[in-house]
Amino acid sequence: MNGSAENIVTFLAQQMVAAAVPLVIAGMGELVAELAGVINIGIEGLMLIGCIAAYVGAGGGNGSVGLAAGVLAGMGMAAIFAFVSISGRADQIVCGAAINIFALGASGTVWTVYRHWRGSHDMSVSLPHGAGFDKWPLPYLAHLPFFGRVIFDQYSLFYGGVLLGFAVWFMLRFTRMGLIIRSLGESPEACQAAGIRVRTWRWGAVLFAGGCAGAAGAYLSIMRTHAFASDMTGGQGFVVLALVIFGRWSLAGLTVGCLFFGLINAIQQVLQTARYTAHNPLIESLRHIPFQLFQMLPYLAALVALAVLSRNRPGPQALGQPWPPVSPGE
Amino acid sequence: MNPILIRQIKNAIVSITTTVMACAAALGLVLLALRLAGYPPLGILHRWIIGSVGRMYYISNSLAETCPLLLTGLAAGIAFRCGVLNIGAQGQFLVGAMVATGLATRWRIVSAPWAVMMLAVFGGILAGGLWAALASLLDRRRGVPIVLSTILLNFIALYAVQTILDGPLQAHGTSAPQSPEVQGAFWLPVLIKFSSLHIGIIFAFALAILMYVVNRQTPFGFQTLVSGLNPRAAKRAGIPVESRQFMTMFLSGCFAGLGGAFQVLGVTHFMTADFGNYGYAGIAVALLGRLNPIGIAFSALFFGLLDTGALRVEESSLGLPHNIANVVKGVVVLVMLLLIAFMQRRRLASIVSDSGGTSRGAGNLPESAAVSNETATTLPAPLDSPGPSAKGAD
Repeated sequence: MNGSAENIVTFLAQQMVAAAVPLVIAGMGELVAELAGVINIGIEGLMLIGCIAAYVGAGGGNGSVGLAAGVLAGMGMAAIFAFVSISGRADQIVCGAAINIFALGASGTVWTVYRHWRGSHDMSVSLPHGAGFDKWPLPYLAHLPFFGRVIFDQYSLFYGGVLLGFAVWFMLRFTRMGLIIRSLGESPEACQAAGIRVRTWRWGAVLFAGGCAGAAGAYLSIMRTHAFASDMTGGQGFVVLALVIFGRWSLAGLTVGCLFFGLINAIQQVLQTARYTAHNPLIESLRHIPFQLFQMLPYLAALVALAVLSRNRPGPQALGQPWPPVSPGE
Repeated sequence: MNPILIRQIKNAIVSITTTVMACAAALGLVLLALRLAGYPPLGILHRWIIGSVGRMYYISNSLAETCPLLLTGLAAGIAFRCGVLNIGAQGQFLVGAMVATGLATRWRIVSAPWAVMMLAVFGGILAGGLWAALASLLDRRRGVPIVLSTILLNFIALYAVQTILDGPLQAHGTSAPQSPEVQGAFWLPVLIKFSSLHIGIIFAFALAILMYVVNRQTPFGFQTLVSGLNPRAAKRAGIPVESRQFMTMFLSGCFAGLGGAFQVLGVTHFMTADFGNYGYAGIAVALLGRLNPIGIAFSALFFGLLDTGALRVEESSLGLPHNIANVVKGVVVLVMLLLIAFMQRRRLASIVSDSGGTSRGAGNLPESAAVSNETATTLPAPLDSPGPSAKGAD
């Protein structure tokens, strides 16, 4: 990295956006599910399954197959979650926790079996040439001074995510569907009375969330890196959960939260390397701070932000409650 | 015979059958999946069983593995029972282990071996409890949901522990985040020679029994149960719900911290950045045990056997990782949740028909299920058993 301030700012901004993409995509899905009254803490697991499915899917040489595999795998896992927690009316938190454990085990197992099958005993198998996605600089736009690097020189899923984001925003805000989804989380009784099939709609919202999480996982394994590592999501799914609440269940708030998180992450990465190379005394003085503290920073920031902000809006009234409600005496 | 007792025994039999069925079904499903993937399921099952109970050495290792799972399971269990969603046993476990390591190695303030050991264990307990209390405090003072704060605190604990293992508590002559080894004199006594089965397992099982008694026989146990089942009703009845939830959370953290301390002093004897997933597994253990301490003891044992047996599966030439144990754990919990849901519907149907209400089949439509739920809450059934009855939450 060369030291000029402008370059660092551009680099930071680009890294910020790149780190925020999976969070925003997975977060959109989780947002829709939570607005519909379903909290899925298994989103970490769904992302992890998306990672490994996309990676294995792309192993044949075609990245698009990988992406599709990631999305489908995420939806498949979400279907299990929906079946147990919506149809079976089980506790959503516990069900999500089970999904996480299962996904950790399943992705690790598939990963080992896949390596074995490919005849490699290394800890990494690289994707065949051309199977992963490279960045897709948009023609002409990518040459713009600052924004060219930051938002017109990203992976294809970034553009897809932006389009999907506008679609979801429009859907939630202006369509009947959006109204129904938001009412499902506030008052399933009212929906029921209005003749809306609560569980069917919730199934749909959860499947959408699963697809989003799968796509976010695919982004991690076949776009940002062209590799898989066990537990490679590293808690990002949990961060998504926090950011949805941090953004007060609004898409704009979520996006701001994700960018903020991405920025802290980018700064953390830059500082980790820059404190050894830069000649600025201020940055050099950071050398004595252990790098794990930098890794902790995003989580700490999220917690502090929640503590400072979270009182104002309580969120969907019926969040986490099964429908029809399970009475305590049952 | 006392009809309440008969019903409790009946319910216990039903719960146990459900759990055993769930375990068997889950194992069967995973083996079926392996069969479809071209692995020999019977060979794997054989190795799994041999690897968990085949020799005295394996049995003692399985029991040693049970210890942390049981303690984190109890941690999750008592919290969930009181309606506090403590997902943070992992962080509390790590913090407890780290403090215990420190007190047994570099920060020894007493000299007698037994005192060092005791101090390390109690330090671990207290650290875990305080870490959990922090989440509870954030909930009460700032309205941060415990589900979220505990998740975030898990990661904060992870990196904080790594920082300390890389700094003040790093072993000399290494650059990895790794603590010095605890001297042999401060290890927990071993029950069976050359194995890692330490005395902690006895305490863990004793605590499970203690918690069972506390849950059933003390006002505290009753109040926490009611707070979990219906906080509003509990408040009306004069139960200090918030204080009970805070105490439960603290206690929950203490259990997880104790698990961490035992693991360091009894099994690993030093700490690295990678210290297992016991905290997350504890959630599954608690659910499989139906939040009942005795049930949790058995489900922790089951998970311990799964984990230890899976090591043997990994050693074989099949190319399966021990992570396969996690697959089984996840499936067990999901199957269990489904079975519980199914049983609830059947029980509901029978309660409704017993009380002279309109009897409906098990396959209720959503509308009618909602109606029969209303009926179920107004039934006197939960009132006639003074302690926590053997309903789903017990």
